[in-house]
Amino acid sequence: MTSLEADLEALLGRESVTPAAEGTGGTPPTPTARPRSAEALAEVLALANSRRLAVLVRGGGTKSGWGRAPGRCDLVIETTALNRLLEHEPGDLTCVAEAGLTLGELQRLVGGAPGHHQRLMLDPPQGGGATLGGVVATAASGPLRARYGTPRDLLLGARFALADGTLARTGGKVVKNVAGYDLGKLLTGSQGTLAVIVEVALRLHPVPPASRWVVAEGVGPPTAQVTLTALRRAPAVLSMAELLWPEGTLLARLDGAPSACEQQAEIVRALVPGGRVAGESEAEELARMIERRPWEGEGPVLGISVPLTRIGELMALAAVGGPVAQLSLRGTVGAGEARLWAGADPAQFAAQVADLGGYVSWHRGGGQDAPPLQPLDPVAARLAGSVKQALDPHSTLAPGRGPA
Amino acid sequence: MDRIPAQLDQESLDALRRAVGSRWVLTDPDQLRTYECDGLTGWRAVPLAVVLPSSTEEVVQVVRICHRAQIPFVARGSGTGLSGGALPVEDGIVIGLSRMRQVLRIDLDNERVVVQPGVPNLEVSRVVAPFGYLYAPDPSSQRVCSIGGNVAENSGGAHCLKYGFTSNHVVALTLVTTEGEVAHLGSAVPDSLGYDLLGVVVGSEGTLGIVTEVTLRVLPVPQRVQTLLAAFPSTDAAGEAVAEIIAAGVLPAAIEMMDRATIEAVEFAMHAGYPDCGAALLVELDGPQSECEALFGQVVEICRRCGASEVRVAEDEAERALLWKGRRGAFSAMGRVSPDYYVQDGVVPRSQLARVLAGIRELEGRHSLKVANVFHAGDGNLHPLILYDRRSPDGPERAKRLAEDILSLCLEAGGSLTGEHGVGRDKVCQMPKLFSPNDQMVMHLLRRAFDPGGTANPGKVLPTPRLCGEHPGIYRPHPLELSGAAQRL
Ligand SMILES: Cc1cc2nc3c(=O)[nH]c(=O)nc-3n(C[C@H](O)[C@H](O)[C@H](O)COP(=O)(O)OP(=O)(O)OC[C@H]3O[C@@H](n4cnc5c(N)ncnc54)[C@H](O)[C@@H]3O)c2cc1C
Repeated sequence: MTSLEADLEALLGRESVTPAAEGTGGTPPTPTARPRSAEALAEVLALANSRRLAVLVRGGGTKSGWGRAPGRCDLVIETTALNRLLEHEPGDLTCVAEAGLTLGELQRLVGGAPGHHQRLMLDPPQGGGATLGGVVATAASGPLRARYGTPRDLLLGARFALADGTLARTGGKVVKNVAGYDLGKLLTGSQGTLAVIVEVALRLHPVPPASRWVVAEGVGPPTAQVTLTALRRAPAVLSMAELLWPEGTLLARLDGAPSACEQQAEIVRALVPGGRVAGESEAEELARMIERRPWEGEGPVLGISVPLTRIGELMALAAVGGPVAQLSLRGTVGAGEARLWAGADPAQFAAQVADLGGYVSWHRGGGQDAPPLQPLDPVAARLAGSVKQALDPHSTLAPGRGPA
Repeated sequence: MDRIPAQLDQESLDALRRAVGSRWVLTDPDQLRTYECDGLTGWRAVPLAVVLPSSTEEVVQVVRICHRAQIPFVARGSGTGLSGGALPVEDGIVIGLSRMRQVLRIDLDNERVVVQPGVPNLEVSRVVAPFGYLYAPDPSSQRVCSIGGNVAENSGGAHCLKYGFTSNHVVALTLVTTEGEVAHLGSAVPDSLGYDLLGVVVGSEGTLGIVTEVTLRVLPVPQRVQTLLAAFPSTDAAGEAVAEIIAAGVLPAAIEMMDRATIEAVEFAMHAGYPDCGAALLVELDGPQSECEALFGQVVEICRRCGASEVRVAEDEAERALLWKGRRGAFSAMGRVSPDYYVQDGVVPRSQLARVLAGIRELEGRHSLKVANVFHAGDGNLHPLILYDRRSPDGPERAKRLAEDILSLCLEAGGSLTGEHGVGRDKVCQMPKLFSPNDQMVMHLLRRAFDPGGTANPGKVLPTPRLCGEHPGIYRPHPLELSGAAQRL
């Protein structure tokens, strides 16, 4: 046992420390600490910080590959023992939970309150086992963002530990609040590089009473562009509108009172060439396939974002000179995932997407040697550097990792 | 944070004049006085100069001059802020953005509009309305207040219940840093690279730099809008109805509450024809016709179940305007029935509304002052208007104590100091009630990362021992309000 492991055991107890020799927590293997309270987590961080160790935070481990890989790691801090739902006031449609609670468990807990069917309206990839802290730290979202937005829109407040062990809060638990800087937005998507999120306050939504689905096949680039533009303006509120390419499959979902979503589904069906109203079981099977799709098979996966009016061109680009990328797009948003086929060059694809006015980021395959895909605005990059320096001056937290 | 220049050195003054043109550097005491306060007129300070740049490039030059000579600066939009955010500092300058009022680009297919910071909020909706779009955040000062000010305050409005606040509708902006560099934050597409610095600049009250260009998200106008006014015997009953509407999963575009004192003032001042009742709720639903219709019936039923004696439904646009008239005019109406009032902006969890309103009534009795409540009930954002008379010897002092007690009530209920007006100078000394020294320290670290020299809007947002020995002045109505150009919500 190393002296670090001994010190961690003294702080946390044996059962909360996995020695490097037994762990899988990194290459080369590193010890894993699993603190049971925010205070204990802060102490571990302070210890690592004072010894200038590099710390990687891990929640469910479902998105460890997002962003550029960190350059060093001496210790993994896992948040999974911080897994309590602290408050849930159904009447307020808000909850407060520890950061290591999984999304799946949260949904079960808030969905089961008597007389209230509520949910956190986030459906990021591999969502069930993802922790709330991890979802926020990666700003991960899925099809539902079409209606409910992303973590930045649903996070009301947070408690976090700085690298030196300082525990602090930002925001609150009410749905409207402008007191002080919104550090929650800064932590959202910061990928464990600025602070360790230990608690989150989130906005919930009621589970809609009914849903209807519209499906279409064989939607090509020009049709997709026209149809998606029409859908944005249609008197129908889409909870999701997933577009798969090269298959050309479109899956739209409408939620609400039965009569309302039925009427809206009809409006959507009429706007989508070849569209038809699909039954629940077919649609849900398709939705499950859509969730797995970007992550199946090999190859780099990129998060991707383009102007709404360039979706058709993006689709065309994904097939230029042979297959380049498989796309899973939130069609009415202009964001999603691209899985690159063998031989496709991520940097070149990134440059082409940039020409469309869009962005890409690593979701899989952004190893240590992976190039930053797109340059940041230089002044924004300098400000980001100053913020990192201010909050984590010794670069204790995931040195070398960046949200890009 | 003691600063060197007690007056502007000649070199800096000359440089400012070269940067923006002599005409646009004001130093005449009479002219300076028109900039001495924002909408919270109890706080006043005369700046050394007011500089009115017309482009990002000019702002860059002005800020560089300030940076070089360590001159503090305060950005100012339209000066309608209600927390003393644009209150000048006596040893610094005001950088007014009112000349930067161009709509630069409209791209409706991508639902984006790019504007300069001095563009009034309503102007955005006005330029896209002919094409069937709108800009959702609608502060009641929207005819006057600027987009730059909205961004700095993360402003809200009645329809933010459904559509979210300014931060949900700003996708990118240009920031002139305190060192005079130009940063492009966020992006016109849904996601962007790097830290969400845009997210912290929105709501930072002019302390992290000067915003010189803003990309906004605009939305298609909803197919249908339905509005009702429900009369309840008490605020308790109305509060219950709000809680039930929210808990039932109905998300109206707006739910606004007025108590008896407000309704009486509104009737006295403008004869809006509101029912004589203990509390009224104004509920608006919008969206696809099918959805609106399905939910509207549910809302009507909840109101009845919670004791509404009357539910008025607007049948057309004229009737809808009439229902909103009293609500929109409530603040100016209050000016007709009370010599002075002070407005608060605390937030409470929605499930606590009835309890907190009852608490406010109890405090009214204890302090022997009247409080009128007119507020964004749907998101729990109270606006208690504390009515007092500044000529009575202890009037202002009693009003202040009552205000503090109400705030404590909000915080005990798990709420916040401010829902939309910001901390500014007014609430800076209350920040410790909500945030621990550590919380404030982290905010301070962030601020220094953006503004190492401490020149951007010093003395706002974060408390310092020097600041918090002083006492705030009292509220007087903003000139805009008196002229009827804007109402306070
Ligand atoms: C009658 C009345 C009704 C109101 N109703 C509402 C309401 O319903 N909802 C609501 O949220 N608010 C309301 N307000 C408050 C106020 O209108 C808003 O806070 C508004 O956003 C302020 O805009 P402004 O242009 O007047 O900003 P100012 O008052 O000039 O400035 C406000 C803050 O923004 C900073 N600032 C301004 N421009 C910039 C810039 N370009 N870059 C960086 N910082 C900048 C200033 O330094 C200051 O801290 C109301 C005010 C009045 C007087």
